[in-house]
Amino acid sequence: MQEEQLITGLRARDRQTVDYLYEKYSKALFAVISRVIKDRDIAEEVFHDAFVKIIRKIDSYDESKGRLYTWMANVCRNAAIDKTRSKEFSKSQKTNTIDNYVYGLEGSSNTLDLVDGIGVKELMGSLNEEQRFVVECIYFKGYTHSEISEEYEIPLGTVKSRIRAAINMLKKNINRI
Amino acid sequence: MDIQSYIASGKLELFVLGELSEREREEVLQLSQQYPEIKRELKEIEEAMFAFDNELGVKPSDTVKDKIFDTLSQELDTPKITEKKMTAAPTKEIALQPWKSFAVAASIVALMAIGVAAYYAVRFYDVENKFTSLLEERNVLSQELEINKARFEETGDQLQTLLSKNYERVPMSGASFELQKDALVDVFWDKASKEVYVSVNNLSNLDADKDYQLWAIGDDGPVGIGIVKPGEKLKLQQMEAAVSAGAFAITIEPKGGSEAPTLENLVVIGEVA
Repeated sequence: MQEEQLITGLRARDRQTVDYLYEKYSKALFAVISRVIKDRDIAEEVFHDAFVKIIRKIDSYDESKGRLYTWMANVCRNAAIDKTRSKEFSKSQKTNTIDNYVYGLEGSSNTLDLVDGIGVKELMGSLNEEQRFVVECIYFKGYTHSEISEEYEIPLGTVKSRIRAAINMLKKNINRI
Repeated sequence: MDIQSYIASGKLELFVLGELSEREREEVLQLSQQYPEIKRELKEIEEAMFAFDNELGVKPSDTVKDKIFDTLSQELDTPKITEKKMTAAPTKEIALQPWKSFAVAASIVALMAIGVAAYYAVRFYDVENKFTSLLEERNVLSQELEINKARFEETGDQLQTLLSKNYERVPMSGASFELQKDALVDVFWDKASKEVYVSVNNLSNLDADKDYQLWAIGDDGPVGIGIVKPGEKLKLQQMEAAVSAGAFAITIEPKGGSEAPTLENLVVIGEVA
């Protein structure tokens, strides 16, 4: 389905289109939330609310402001960040590293579905140490670039260019996985 | 405006990661409208981000999907209230239409079903006939098999009989008589066990009221030792025991055989070597 068609269907509140959207994007969007919230139950709850919000607010999405996925990912990320700032949420969750993300959350009572660990590991292997570090911070610990800069005392400009370099590498290698 | 250094600044990545302030976001959007290179770069980053998130992701549980669609169930598929109401068709037609199309569909289905049924009926009779003839053929074959089995066993037995004992072959021929010049019958005789078999090589069929009778001709004259069937060619026919014999002969006698041979009806004779 083309993006235009998809958006038209969503605006018409067509059930099949929503189903298609879910099948195509739920995995990636849930990954965006899981980056920030490690607890699976809470992440799923946030994902539920965020996805419903996306469907309800589709009219406020403006194609000229980036692609649909970017907008949806932003809705999800903001929902997740809002959740972490809420009272009942403890911040002690920012302790995950790539390994226990890829191989399932140790000590979590949930059994994760199979993560394509090999693909992720290969992708991460294509990065150098600095690049891997920023990707880990952003993707596995849910940091923002300014948080990385503060926490590790790296100049903001340096963090930005490392993020760019890392994403460039991912961009090149993602098609090979 | 140096496009390349703007692209290299990392701002586009932060835009996609959702980490720019509102003002910076506006700036990126505006520039991407203005410069195709920036637009292309942005598109590539967005695609890569989706691919990476998708690669990294774990599917949410199936129950989540169900819950989401439950939550949205009231909102989806509901036609927009505006224009639809205005163009509402007369209710009568609406009630009739589904019935009509249903009837048409049903009759088409019925016709197709009749066609299919007829086709399969024909096929069925066809197959049934084939099946019946196959069964018959099978019966014939199994009967033949039984017959052949019996024959085979018989032949085996006869072969064993011939090989197991000390049989002498006494060929009898009709060459010296007028009756049947080409008649040939072999006698097999085991002197120790007295057992006698004949094997017909060539012998004419007789009328129903006549029989061929085998005689063992010993010191006490000819002794009738059985009826020889001319039809059973090259098969061992067991006769009665012959105690002593210098020669064997076959005559034509009235049905059932006689006490003494009718000598003018002598067919073949053969002397024991």
